[in-house]
This record gives sequence, C-alpha cells and structure tokens, in this order.
Amino acid sequence: MILTPKIVARLVVVGLLGVLLQLTFFSQIELFHVSPDVLPALVVVLGLLGGSLTGAVSGFAIGFLLDCLLIQPLGGASLVLIAVGFAAGTFRERFEIHSRLVAPLLCAVFTLLAELGFGAVEAMFGINTDVSIFVVRDMLIKTIFAFFIGWALYAGMRRLVRPALVDEATVRRTRRPTVLGA
Amino acid sequence: MLALLIVGSFALLTLTYGQGSNGIQRGVTAIFTPISSVLDRALKPARDLINWVDETFDARGKNHKLETEVQALRKEVVGGKVALAENEELRALLKLDKSGAIPSEEGIVTGHVIGLSPTVWFSTLMIDVGSSDGVKIHDPVVNGDGLVGEINAVTGGASKVRLITDHESRIGVRVVPAGLQALVKPTVGEPNRLVLGFINGDKTLHKGEKVVTSGWHSEDIEGRFPPNIPVGEITEASILRQEAQEQVIVRPYADIRNLNVLQVLTGGSNE
Repeated sequence: MILTPKIVARLVVVGLLGVLLQLTFFSQIELFHVSPDVLPALVVVLGLLGGSLTGAVSGFAIGFLLDCLLIQPLGGASLVLIAVGFAAGTFRERFEIHSRLVAPLLCAVFTLLAELGFGAVEAMFGINTDVSIFVVRDMLIKTIFAFFIGWALYAGMRRLVRPALVDEATVRRTRRPTVLGA
Repeated sequence: MLALLIVGSFALLTLTYGQGSNGIQRGVTAIFTPISSVLDRALKPARDLINWVDETFDARGKNHKLETEVQALRKEVVGGKVALAENEELRALLKLDKSGAIPSEEGIVTGHVIGLSPTVWFSTLMIDVGSSDGVKIHDPVVNGDGLVGEINAVTGGASKVRLITDHESRIGVRVVPAGLQALVKPTVGEPNRLVLGFINGDKTLHKGEKVVTSGWHSEDIEGRFPPNIPVGEITEASILRQEAQEQVIVRPYADIRNLNVLQVLTGGSNE
C-alpha cells in the first residue's frame, strides 16, 4: 500500500469509526447471546492490505484508543492487536491471496487468537474467579461472526484504499486498452 | 518499529495497570464521550432491531418450557397469599422505594450506557456521567431490577462501571429471609450465574431465596455497597453443593446483557 496523506487520513477515520462503532453498537448487540468483535478483523484487514508495519501500527493505535475509551490499563489491547496486525501483514507479504475466502478465514482465525490473547493478558495479572466453559463457546461464535465481518470489511476497505494498493495499480497499468469497433 | 511498539505497550501496561483513569484517558474520553453519546442514541434503533431478532429466536425455544412452568405454577396459586405476605415482609425488610431498587437515602444520578467492552474477559461499560455530576469511585450502580456494578474509574464527563459479572467483582451480601452473610463472585463467561460462597452460618439455603447487599466490606471487597440493594435470587441450592463446596448459584436480577439506562447512587460514603 502506498501511504499518501490522503490514504493515512482515511485509515485514521476508519480506525476511529471502528472503535466507536464497536463500543456503541457491536458490543451492545447480541446474536446467539454473543456480541461480535470487529476490531481484530479490522486490524487483520489493514494488515492484509497494507503489510506488516501498517498492520502493527494500526493494531497499536486501535488498541490504544480502545483502552483509553474503556479506561482500561493502557497497552493490553494494543499488545494483542499489534501481534494480530503484524501476523496478518506478514502473511500478505509472503503469500499471494488468490481466493476470496482467504481474508475472511484469516479474520476468523486471528479473531480467535486475539480473544485468547486478551484472556492471556488478563490471566497474566490474575483471574481470581471461576471461568466458565461458555467462554470457549463465546470465542467460537465470535470467530464465526469475524468470518462474515471480515468478508464485508475486506471488500469495503479494498474499495476505500484502492488508489493506494500496489497490486491494483499494477493491474490498471497492465490492462490492455479497449479497441472500439474490433 | 515493531519492537518499539511492543516495548511501548508493555511499558504502558506496567505503568497503568491497577490505576484508575490517567491524564491521557481523561483527555481522550473528554473528546470522544459526546461523540459516543450521539452515536449510541443514533444507533439504538438498529441495536434494538438486532437484539429483538435474537430475543425472538430465544423466546421460541423457551416457549415449550414456559408452558410447562405455567402448569406447575397454576398448582401453586393456592400458596399465593403466603407469597404475597412474604413479599410485603421482604419489601419492608429491604426498605425499597416504589421502583423497588433504590434505598431512599441515596442520591441518584442517571446515565446512559455509551460503550461496552468487546471481550468476554472484561465486564465493564462506560456511562455518560462523571465527576462533574457528582459520581465517585466505588459508587454503586443499579437499574430498575437491582445491582449492576460499581464505579471503577471516573473522568469529568464519563465513568467506567465494573459490572457484578467482572472477574474482579466481589459483593458482600445477605440472604433473606435466612439472614446468612456471604460473598458473591461472578463466573467469567456466564453473566447470569453468580457464585455465592458462604462466609458464616450453618443454615441451609433454598432455591428462590433473595440475595441483597449486606452493607459491609473487607480487604477483599473494594466496593462499598449500601445495605439492602437487591442483587439476585438463588437458582441452584443443592445440598451436595452446599456441603461439599459451600456454594449456591445466584441469578442476578439485572439483565447484565441488556443495559441502557443506569442509576448511580452517589449519596453513600465511599471512605
């Protein structure tokens, strides 16, 4: 991704909107008694489109904002989302994405890992009560939600940052001109 | 760059863990609370629609079970007068006001939920009232049904509520009419299941007995809840569990997964 000031501004707006929508909308709705978590999927999509560094920085920024707005210890969410963004970006740098299913599947897998990561960060400081097996169910349902959210997010974000995408620019340059009347 | 971000995150985590709000968080919440508040109200119809779909599916599943329960309840109508008398007795005992939830001597600040934690590990939410409205740390938070949690951090215009289902939550409670003093802890991942561990007394508890705040606190319990706020009702009280684990299961009155308007009781002493 070619990061022009315009594209960076778009990414900042997307990040802000993502966090605000997560807190005011997605966290407050329930399907099958579970609320979707869009933020890991958003960071994965940014990593897939922008590479490992963009993914890591997006993860840090989104996690930092989340921790600020929830008045949680700063750095916990950042730590998890940096890892998610960096891993997604690294995947993009090493492998070509040929199938439309790859991005949603990665969103699902990394959302599951992110939920485990949030639990690990919390466990690091001690969980002094019973943990129900339903936590696993919640994580798995969030993972399924992330698949569909990732599908929509990846398509939307590709459209939003299309001018900055290197592979899109290559396609545009190599496209054969249309010959009228041929 | 990656190393810098990771080291920065660890440093922030180490510096801010266990603290309330810091300057950065107060600044960020001051900027975003009005935006969150507007977004929250604008998105309420969409949220209600989605939650309605979820509840409708849930209701269909419960229909058969409820019909069976109604038949059983019809047989218990004979005992209705006894239950009414007990209800009157409990109301007098709990000193509830007309809404049934709030001790009359408490000051009340009403706030709207403007944000919820997205993970199952943290059970916290943000409301749009803060220190400028008289809200203080450890103030109890209730809704029309009962105790919801306590204020955990405060900024000028927003506050963080630690729900009774958060893994760090501890509530000193009393079981009525048994009179037993106990401690209620949550179960992470199950918002409708609180574990009541016995602290003193050798009485046997029964399903349906009410649990209210006791008003006492100790080193283990940060919250200073005033006495007699309804917390929940005992739903599982097998003799085996009581004897082996000294536990019973309590279902909270407040629907923790469906909170919108909350009341902060600001009149109590927090010291």
